[in-house]
Amino acid sequence: MVMDIRFEQVNFVYQPDTPFEQRALYAVDLTIKEGSYTALVGHTGSGKSTLLQHLNALLKPTGGKVLIGDRTITPETDNKNLKPIRKKVGIVFQFPEAQLFEETVAKDIAFGPQNFGVSQEEALGLAKEKLELVGLDDSFLERSPFELSGGQMRRVAIAGVLAMEPEVLVLDEPTAGLDPAGRKEMMEIFWRLHKEKKMTIVLVTHLMDDVANFADYVYVLEKGNVVRHGSPQDVFQDVDWLKEKQLGVPAASEFAEKMQAKGARFEQLPLTEEELADWILQQSGGVAYDE
Amino acid sequence: MMNKLIFGRYIPGDSIIHRLDPRAKLVASFYFIAIIFLANNWQSYLCLGIFTFVAILLSKINLRFFFRGVRPLIWLILFTVILQILFTRGGTLYWSWGVFSLSEYGIQNGLFIFCRFILIIFMSTLLTLTTPPLSMSDAIESLLRPLHVLHVPVHEIALMLSIALRFVPTLMDETEKIMNAQRARGVDFGEGSLIQKVKAVVPLLIPLFVSSFNRAEDLATAMEARGYRGGEGRSKYRILKWSNRDSGVIVVFVIVTIGLIVLRT
Repeated sequence: MVMDIRFEQVNFVYQPDTPFEQRALYAVDLTIKEGSYTALVGHTGSGKSTLLQHLNALLKPTGGKVLIGDRTITPETDNKNLKPIRKKVGIVFQFPEAQLFEETVAKDIAFGPQNFGVSQEEALGLAKEKLELVGLDDSFLERSPFELSGGQMRRVAIAGVLAMEPEVLVLDEPTAGLDPAGRKEMMEIFWRLHKEKKMTIVLVTHLMDDVANFADYVYVLEKGNVVRHGSPQDVFQDVDWLKEKQLGVPAASEFAEKMQAKGARFEQLPLTEEELADWILQQSGGVAYDE
Repeated sequence: MMNKLIFGRYIPGDSIIHRLDPRAKLVASFYFIAIIFLANNWQSYLCLGIFTFVAILLSKINLRFFFRGVRPLIWLILFTVILQILFTRGGTLYWSWGVFSLSEYGIQNGLFIFCRFILIIFMSTLLTLTTPPLSMSDAIESLLRPLHVLHVPVHEIALMLSIALRFVPTLMDETEKIMNAQRARGVDFGEGSLIQKVKAVVPLLIPLFVSSFNRAEDLATAMEARGYRGGEGRSKYRILKWSNRDSGVIVVFVIVTIGLIVLRT
């Protein structure tokens, strides 16, 4: 079965018919293809977090429909029977360390799979496997999650979502508040899952470098609307537009833009440091950069 | 879930009711609840009803929101009213079956209690819809000040109250977030048998408690770092001012009270 996620004219209003009514999404159309690495960017309050809660039916649209695999979620969809969707689409929320509650790390990671009917032994096996995947060794299994450092707690929480073995992994600013090394390591783990396990990844982030380095498709949101979408190459060409929207530009593109102002000529602005380095080498007549 | 609740929330505005001194509003609301019990016939309830209606109009808040405020309590109200109707005897008896009866007094009593509930809810909704929580805690501190003589720690109570009020929305957001995170991990809240429902709350409660402890620790550190040493010798930033408008409220309430005493039988 193909696990595409498609939004058709999705509207969402918080607390309709109250004085606190707030519209968050306006007729959003969007497609997340199976096996893709999609990035959602936009300001705080642009509706990213609302949108991602639609990806596993935590929120139901107040208008339009969301197609998740073979399921269609409309405003009338019943709240029952959504578990299969939640198993397929795992969400790592912002600051996921706040969701830990069990006595031991192992039990906490096993909690998700057990909710979806995996036996206890199997779930504990998964816990061990996923803990290793996020870079913590077995000695952590029997420790209390509350005695760990912030970064370790984050890893445990992410392992807890990975243990559900979702087909689609949704990440809401997974590296916020981590140190540079931890940030890099986490992003590489997700990249490996995407490459090796063909996992579909949806990344919500403010870091344009992550988008440039990893994503193959970008949606730009503004005030609940999709204002631009396309491959990172396309979206990041328009540096002025991005700056005007205060969205930020990948460091390499920004540097290239400055070089352009000084007379350098690019066919296409480079997005990553490798691309930029290649270009510089080519210009200086050197050998093409090889890894 | 929680966000459907109107009762107890504040709607910013700039009406005459919004601008009243919170102390006046708080005392007036309590006083109103007390004098409701003076009313015992149609004329007096009508008088209170008109008074409440005028107050709501003055607040410029849509009447709809007041009805929504009643909604969560409607079953409690109906239950009480029906009990009153069925178990009160007196006056003309229309129908009876065993201990149940339908009598003139019963119906009258039921309707009065209904009015009483609605008026109390409307008035307290009006108070909370027009008064920001922080003003409310300032008002409580100011009103409790005389108790200082009896060694009641008024400043501490007010401080806890304002911190608690400040963190209600934050904790609500946090609850919502954790709930969503756990639902994404396959927890069904509010489904299944009673035991299952109670068990499902554990993954919500423990993180909430833990984060409250962390928050409390951070807040205490931040307060100390900013030189907080208790209530002794502190000045105040928000100072409540009693104006003629607020004295006007007292006058209005005196008139209403006299009216009620005249109208009651």
